[in-house]
Amino acid sequence: MNKIGITALVPPELIFACGAAPFDVNNVIPASRKYPGNKLCAWTAIWKEMLIKKEITVDSLIVVAGGDCHNALVDGQKAAMSGIPTHFFFYPFDGDLEYLESQLHRLSGFLGGIRSPEVLKKIQELKKQGQMLDKKRCRGKLSSAEAFRILISFSDLTGDLAGFSRAISALEEKDIDVRNRVALIGVPPIYHDFHEVAQTLGLHIVFDELPYEFIRHGGCDIKEMARDYCGYTFAMPLESRIDFLKKELRKRKVDAVIHYTQFACHHMLEDEVLREKLDYPLLTIQGDLPGNTPQQIKLRLEAFREMLDRL
Amino acid sequence: MIGLDLGSTAAKMVWIESGEIKFRITPAHNWKELVEGIDGDEIISTGYFRNSVPHRASLTELTAAVYGVRHYFPDAEVIVDIGGQDTKVIDVRNNNFIINDKCSAGTGAFLEFVANYFRIGLEELGPMHLNARRIPDINNTCGVFALSEMISQLVGGYSKEEVIAGMHYAFARRISHMVPEARSIVLIGGTVKNEGMVAALRNILEKEVLIPDEPQIINALGALEYYS
Ligand code: SF4
Repeated sequence: MNKIGITALVPPELIFACGAAPFDVNNVIPASRKYPGNKLCAWTAIWKEMLIKKEITVDSLIVVAGGDCHNALVDGQKAAMSGIPTHFFFYPFDGDLEYLESQLHRLSGFLGGIRSPEVLKKIQELKKQGQMLDKKRCRGKLSSAEAFRILISFSDLTGDLAGFSRAISALEEKDIDVRNRVALIGVPPIYHDFHEVAQTLGLHIVFDELPYEFIRHGGCDIKEMARDYCGYTFAMPLESRIDFLKKELRKRKVDAVIHYTQFACHHMLEDEVLREKLDYPLLTIQGDLPGNTPQQIKLRLEAFREMLDRL
Repeated sequence: MIGLDLGSTAAKMVWIESGEIKFRITPAHNWKELVEGIDGDEIISTGYFRNSVPHRASLTELTAAVYGVRHYFPDAEVIVDIGGQDTKVIDVRNNNFIINDKCSAGTGAFLEFVANYFRIGLEELGPMHLNARRIPDINNTCGVFALSEMISQLVGGYSKEEVIAGMHYAFARRISHMVPEARSIVLIGGTVKNEGMVAALRNILEKEVLIPDEPQIINALGALEYYS
């Protein structure tokens, strides 16, 4: 089975259906302890370096460029120049269904066409289970760290449907003391222990914005996928994303919001709008290099918790 | 019960005796002397090393600042805590805070750097500033690069006093970017003893700047008040 690197959300069901296994190149980064030489955002810089040095080996690469990240567009081209067959995938900004459908057809063409349509139903089933997990941690029946570990892996379903299904089944229910219900919005933190740290400091993360996108979309054919993935909030205008967030935050009865931003990432520019439009106590943090959650970030989380306790 | 603020440069201890606030301050590495004979159960700790000392309870310096400042200024809107390694701005009205701990410009470390360059004590910066007749423009927002600007102003004919005043203004401008709209701000932290820096801040912020009597012990006092 060909291993296909992806740099952000690309419908993994389509890759599986084309008989290949997706591999989200971001998922190795938080625990990588890599400090890249030439960088803006550490996420793209690290996967680019690891791909070029063949520390991550893939048969080909899909770079999500349009509607997502320009750093990825440039670093993706550098990876392509090293000889990796690379395809650039673009989301429409304006929700143009036909455009997304044509992008999915082009992607399917790059991957050699759909060969195993039967996996599509199976993946839909797994995503339903993902949604159940998400609900469980919201009710305090699952730790946010365990839930996050599974949810973030829905971008590529670890490239192994049977193994991933087993990992989901292995999760055990718990009773978690959920006091400060926090939504984590923005790109995921680059620190591998962030959810554990938040939990020990008394913050229970009941919503992970981006991983939620991973379990929310799907489809049993290209038409359905196009319809579904058109609502991928990170590629849409900010106002639609905020409307969506407002609904989710209300539904999950969150007390506060943490906006994680990444050094040199354009999403930082959204912070002031999010602060203005989301009517919750909001803590903005910024990360740079991978590893453990640094002391400075812990201080902010703890002070934020103390502030919530005072409200 | 005592409040202990163990920061990156100094350790401050506060206790109440017959209704009066008493305190002691030592360099951070001597903190053990400060608490000699005091049971951990008697200590409410705060500051960067709050969890490295025995304590009954600990809290972050941000929360401690809110409680400590409230003692002197119950209606405080915004607190600016200029520490040795970072600067924190707390908007008490909406429980918001910003911390600059990425860049030395706008922290006590920057002023120490300037004092070292001129081979003078940190406490001399303030009085020297007050003797400046002109204030050169130092625009660099990076502490290290500001040094080369400082040298070129000296070469260009400005006096030591004037260049120090220019540095205080650069420092104040840096902090002003972090301060939200408010009627007044309360300044705390050891650096606040530098009257040149305070003068620059007053000028740049164009707000009422309130300073408690002992700005350095506010967080230790806040830790104590938080617990009582
Ligand atoms: S964090 Fe921002 S800059 Fe980095 S890969 Fe993600 S979207 Fe791109």
